[in-house]
Amino acid sequence: MLKNLDQIKSRAADIVASLSCDYAEIRISSSRSTSITLSGGETDSFSSGSSLGGSARVLANGAWGFVSFNDIGDLESFSKKALEIALKIDPAEKTAVARSGAVKGSFFTETARDVDSVTPDEKFELLKKYNEILRAPSAVKTTRAVYSDVRSGYLYVNSEGSDLSYDRSYCGVSLASIARDGALIQPFHESVSGYGGFELVENMEEAAERVARTAVDLLGAESVPGGRYRVVADQKLAGVFIHEAFGHLSEADFVHENERMKKIMTIGNVFGPEGLNVVDCGSMPGLSGYIPFDDEGVVPGKTRLISNGVLSGRLHSRETALKMDEPLTGNARAINVMRQPIVRMTNTYIENGKSKTQDLFDSAENGIYAIDMNGGQTNLEMFTFTAACGYEIKNGRPGKMYRDIVLSGNVFTTLKNILMIADDGKMFGGLGGCGKGGQAPLPVSLGGPHILIDDVLIGGSQ
Amino acid sequence: MDLIIKHAPGAGWFDIIETGGRSTPVSFKNNRIHSAVEKQNSGYGVRINLAGKTGFSYTNDRDNLEETVKKAVLLSGYGDDEGFELPSRMERTFNPYDPSIESFDIKIEMEKAGEAISRIMEKFPGSNTDLGISRSTGNVRIMNSRGLDVSYKSSAYSAYIGTTHILDDGTKIDVSESLTSRKPEPFDRLADEVIKKMSLALVTRKLPGGKVPVILTPGAFSRMIGIVLSGLNARSVWKGISPFSDKIGARLFSASLNVTEDPLMSDSPYSFPFDDEGVPSRKKPLIESGVIKTFITDLKHAEKLGIEPTGNGSRDFSSLPAPSLSNVIISGPGISLADLIGGMGKGVLVEEFIGLGQSNTLTGDFSASLDLAFMVEKGEITGRVKDCMISGNLFRLLEGDIIFSRESRVTGSVTAPHVFFPSVNYTG
Repeated sequence: MLKNLDQIKSRAADIVASLSCDYAEIRISSSRSTSITLSGGETDSFSSGSSLGGSARVLANGAWGFVSFNDIGDLESFSKKALEIALKIDPAEKTAVARSGAVKGSFFTETARDVDSVTPDEKFELLKKYNEILRAPSAVKTTRAVYSDVRSGYLYVNSEGSDLSYDRSYCGVSLASIARDGALIQPFHESVSGYGGFELVENMEEAAERVARTAVDLLGAESVPGGRYRVVADQKLAGVFIHEAFGHLSEADFVHENERMKKIMTIGNVFGPEGLNVVDCGSMPGLSGYIPFDDEGVVPGKTRLISNGVLSGRLHSRETALKMDEPLTGNARAINVMRQPIVRMTNTYIENGKSKTQDLFDSAENGIYAIDMNGGQTNLEMFTFTAACGYEIKNGRPGKMYRDIVLSGNVFTTLKNILMIADDGKMFGGLGGCGKGGQAPLPVSLGGPHILIDDVLIGGSQ
Repeated sequence: MDLIIKHAPGAGWFDIIETGGRSTPVSFKNNRIHSAVEKQNSGYGVRINLAGKTGFSYTNDRDNLEETVKKAVLLSGYGDDEGFELPSRMERTFNPYDPSIESFDIKIEMEKAGEAISRIMEKFPGSNTDLGISRSTGNVRIMNSRGLDVSYKSSAYSAYIGTTHILDDGTKIDVSESLTSRKPEPFDRLADEVIKKMSLALVTRKLPGGKVPVILTPGAFSRMIGIVLSGLNARSVWKGISPFSDKIGARLFSASLNVTEDPLMSDSPYSFPFDDEGVPSRKKPLIESGVIKTFITDLKHAEKLGIEPTGNGSRDFSSLPAPSLSNVIISGPGISLADLIGGMGKGVLVEEFIGLGQSNTLTGDFSASLDLAFMVEKGEITGRVKDCMISGNLFRLLEGDIIFSRESRVTGSVTAPHVFFPSVNYTG
């Protein structure tokens, strides 16, 4: 049973109102989750549990005090402890926060099939069915199929008089096949997730087949010859690129702490071609990055990060918005109530352009069609991403398959090298999520249309 | 326990893990106080074996225990077949706890941190230091259907200093040091070490590529050995991703190499009297004179592999056990560190790798960038080598002529000497 948080709400509201401080907030959540992991022919784990958690964050004398706990009966003393810690710090540089005024509301996730009404048996059997598809080809040596759902009640109160609650349901699966031929190991995976019910993970047989087939095909694929190419990035790679390589630079805490980045990330600087528009928007229901309000009680809007190629905004918490004298965007997020909110993305995407998908392939010359991403690193300005798979482009069509496609370059040059933007945008969630400051995985979504980029360095296999 | 008997009268076995803890992390970022936090968390994990299959559920809300038991019963139908027996009694126990942990004071720690940072700033104006200090206390209690009911309390203190210094030509130098203990410690020696290493790294030297002699510091050596030891994890062996599956008793490494695991080590915050399944812990050789001796395991994988449980089942209340290591001690015959460095001629001393974790754990092939490494000439460190890599095969290197230093140092849970490899592929 989810705890009834209503009774505790008025107590929490009284506490934040009574603390003598600059600002205070209390967050409490009660959740239960189910997760199943199948690996090859084995059940790695099937577990289900419940947790209760809370935290108090207090700003006093220019410093934050934060206390997290699961013993919510002791709310008063934990909140006082947070104030006590804040007062001990006495920092040289005082912190203050932007105000939003009181926000009130209750929100809930719309579901077609409530995960609580689905039996453990049905969850298990569905995942088992996908897992059987994943391991069907003989070249597939092992698999990893994961199901996860979380139902939670979340309440938020602060000293500005905000009073918010959110009854949410999150559900997703991740499907991976690992094909192997001697020392050559080729994994491939797809994942979906979002706010909704069991309907989000049903009817994924085709996706499972695609995963198994691609893993096996990759065994036979050639390593891409290294060189500079025109690259058509699929909707997911376009999304991952904009999230990883650019989105994180838009997080104001990062910009604020780095003098060099502050200069580069000046509003008005040109970042890309005329047709490039990049948005972060937390208010898109259903998507993995949807939040009716952020973990500082701020309602998110649509933040335009790049408008017609020009840097036009960035993501803020209460603290960074005040420091940089820019509007609140509702991007202070924490992976759970026991962690402190930090500046994070929500749903981040490149807006549709005017080109037709085929036009990109027609203009790609002898380029590469790069799909999805397996992993990568960015280091302020430089990025290295490994595409999950790809194809050569011949006469405007994908030809033979390539593996080990490592794309690298300078983030800013690459953004400026975007030649065409298609009109076929798609959004992607997934159980992985985003990591920052030791907080992972945070549900986010990302996406965009197909994009054509000029002059991308592809390293090929080592 | 009564709840389990009520809801699962036919249970083959069951156990309950109860954990609780408090921690107080204080962090400094970019030379300034960033946050001070207090965390409290506790919970229960319930494992029930019914008809040979194990179900598991957890909660951190005492009021929810009955539902948790019911869920564990319900989920047992989907679990793996597990026929092992739980431990029934514990003779020896101790608390890896030092009462002076209670003297931890945020104010005092912030003063210590402030001093360390200003010493580093004084030496390297414009540098950025991140510093973290944490105090934690905890308790673990294991109860099971064979009448076991044991508990211990623990304490831990840790400090970390990481400094980034960017030189005028854009060269970026990252240096870090850390310590762990059961009680608050002074950490000026961490600042000393950071200053010392940073000073040595200011000058960049070029060493042509080729086969060169290499020394790893205890920290770098412990990371390398960690990759080898992951192959001794019974779970990896069972999953077929260990290169050592059929190698117990085989001499794979230099006769100088000894690796011991000691969960009973005094003063270490990584010690425990019994593992998270209630199996008594014991000191054991993992590698002895280069010979593979033991896989470390929990109860499940001991049964799967037909080996003795080793007391290495590790978990928190919300997860199932998995094998993991406590304190590791690497030892062997050695010479003084001064002689080791003095005798190497022109070579490389490695402090930090990047990308060693991406080594192929099955074959031992590796290729790692050197994040912080020094050039040694005629027994002296003469500067830093950067934008360089070493590559080769971990197993081959450890099989060859290696020489240890007599002095050892603790990095995290690993006690190791410096190690010398006569010839390693180096790309500069």
